[in-house]
Amino acid sequence: MSKILSFLLLFALFLPLSAQAVRIEISAPGEQTIPLALTRFLPMGKATADSASEIDAVLNADLDLSGLFELADRAAFLSDAEKLGLHSTQVDFAQWRLLGVDAVVKGGYRIDGENLTIEARLYDVVTRQLLTGRRYVGRIGDERRIAHSFADQIMLALTGKKGPFNSRLAYISTRSGHKELYLMEVDGHNPVRLTDHRSIVLDPDFSPVRKEVVYTSYKKSNPDLYRKEIYTGSEARLSQRPGLNTGGRYRADGGELAVTLSKGNNSDIYLLGTDGSIHKRLTTHWGIDVAPSWSPEGDKIAFVSDRRGNPHIFIVDIDSLKVERLTFEGRYSATPAWSPTGEWIAFTRRTEGQFDIFLIRPDGTGEHRLTFAPGTKEHPRFSPDGRFLVYSLDFEREKSIHVMRIDGTGDRRLSAPGGNDTHPAWSGYWQ
Amino acid sequence: MQFKAVLKLTVLLALASLLSVGCAKNPKADEASQVAQTEMQQEKIAEVSEQAVSEQGSMSEGGMAHDSMGKMISSLTRVNFEYDQYVLTADARETLKKNASYLKAKGVRVQIEGHCDERGSDEYNLALGENRALTVKKFLVSLGVPAERLSIISYGEEVPLVMSNTEEAWSQNRRAEFKELN
Repeated sequence: MSKILSFLLLFALFLPLSAQAVRIEISAPGEQTIPLALTRFLPMGKATADSASEIDAVLNADLDLSGLFELADRAAFLSDAEKLGLHSTQVDFAQWRLLGVDAVVKGGYRIDGENLTIEARLYDVVTRQLLTGRRYVGRIGDERRIAHSFADQIMLALTGKKGPFNSRLAYISTRSGHKELYLMEVDGHNPVRLTDHRSIVLDPDFSPVRKEVVYTSYKKSNPDLYRKEIYTGSEARLSQRPGLNTGGRYRADGGELAVTLSKGNNSDIYLLGTDGSIHKRLTTHWGIDVAPSWSPEGDKIAFVSDRRGNPHIFIVDIDSLKVERLTFEGRYSATPAWSPTGEWIAFTRRTEGQFDIFLIRPDGTGEHRLTFAPGTKEHPRFSPDGRFLVYSLDFEREKSIHVMRIDGTGDRRLSAPGGNDTHPAWSGYWQ
Repeated sequence: MQFKAVLKLTVLLALASLLSVGCAKNPKADEASQVAQTEMQQEKIAEVSEQAVSEQGSMSEGGMAHDSMGKMISSLTRVNFEYDQYVLTADARETLKKNASYLKAKGVRVQIEGHCDERGSDEYNLALGENRALTVKKFLVSLGVPAERLSIISYGEEVPLVMSNTEEAWSQNRRAEFKELN
């Protein structure tokens, strides 16, 4: 009799526990946050403290920017945070439950000569299960990339959609005295210069399928369209027609590019093959048509036109070539960027003497302003997961690159002080 | 009372045994197989190394504007435009008439550069600058300057004449310049 009773009691005890498991679908940041404990990664054998600090700083910053987590205060951590046990049977989940967290991140690292191994785990505190586990094998110096990569994994495990932190940003900087193309990590670290044109390089975009960037440069006097392989450094001119060859944007599958060509006469939007040949002319109007941006399905292109007087955003259907006007408010709307989720088109609009970033749905509804701080904001571009926007800020004669969540929260500066950094482009998922 | 205490103990024991069974069912190998291994890519980015600041022709930002504009022809005067406009003002027309006489007399080839102020999107300004250069070219041709001697280029907002964000600076930066070729 007592045995049956005890089983019934057990059942009653376990039912609510398993129902609380941490898998929560979150479609937008800020809706709901997951209480998470991020422990400091511990050395497995001989190791340096530098690796731990670096991993820790990157994970902290990424998870904080995501806006998806409420990170538990480390002062409250108990003895399990100091224990290396990485198997679920070795984790003292009761301690973590006491802190009220739903999930805990634990990890360790080993340095063997030049080689670095990082073990990283995410556990569901309630069900005591491994949610995601990764072993990263790299070299000393890979700590940041590895930590970004695991932050992306944590977001995948807890929301069903991978994070963008291991991707890259391309941008234009004048640090060398000329406008050149640079590449950096999405938190602004490790900037490297990719071009040495000593001319004017403008408006980069990433190939979604290859480690390649496309941009405009005046290297050979005319604003021509170039492409460059990031790892081999090999560069080629893609379009060198008289006049503007600007605003190159790859379709989501990398198969074609949308581009602005003027042929020395009038700017219109065209489709090019990856060999630079013209596949189709999309607009035919005496007005200015510039700044194309693809829909994720690749069936429509948003662009800027002054065909109705002031610059506004329009959308052209690639099949029918039918053009529809998207924005009506204000007197100057520019630089549309279509979200990879298809839900939003970001653009800039002149407000009170400055430009600010707005979002609008592709059907013209839901228009709202995201930025209100002083300074002109330009060139909004979405992260590959659609959760974040990167843009350039021109404030008090200094141009810097910023990132924020698509609800306008979490804004932070990415580029180093004192630079003149503009025109960011966000790569696709990098690995 | 006693029954309750026994019951509590039973529950705890059962719980403990169930947990240990649960652990036994979850051998290390199972969880280990869930841990994917990622080899970090070691290919190096084709980075451009920073060159020395003192190299020939390398200029500060202010100097860059002058560098890419090249040699100005003293007898050809630049013309200015209204905000977001590429139609010629009355002043600009007068200036261009003088420029046309000079060009017809000298027979030189000239590149007309269209420029904008920094306000507005840079893609749009590239197109606007081109329209400014084109308008100037068409007007000069209408005054009898051979079209084949005139080429155009737009620098958008990339090469300001005056590095400042005042109305005065902006009005000077909205311009078409003339550069002698060959």
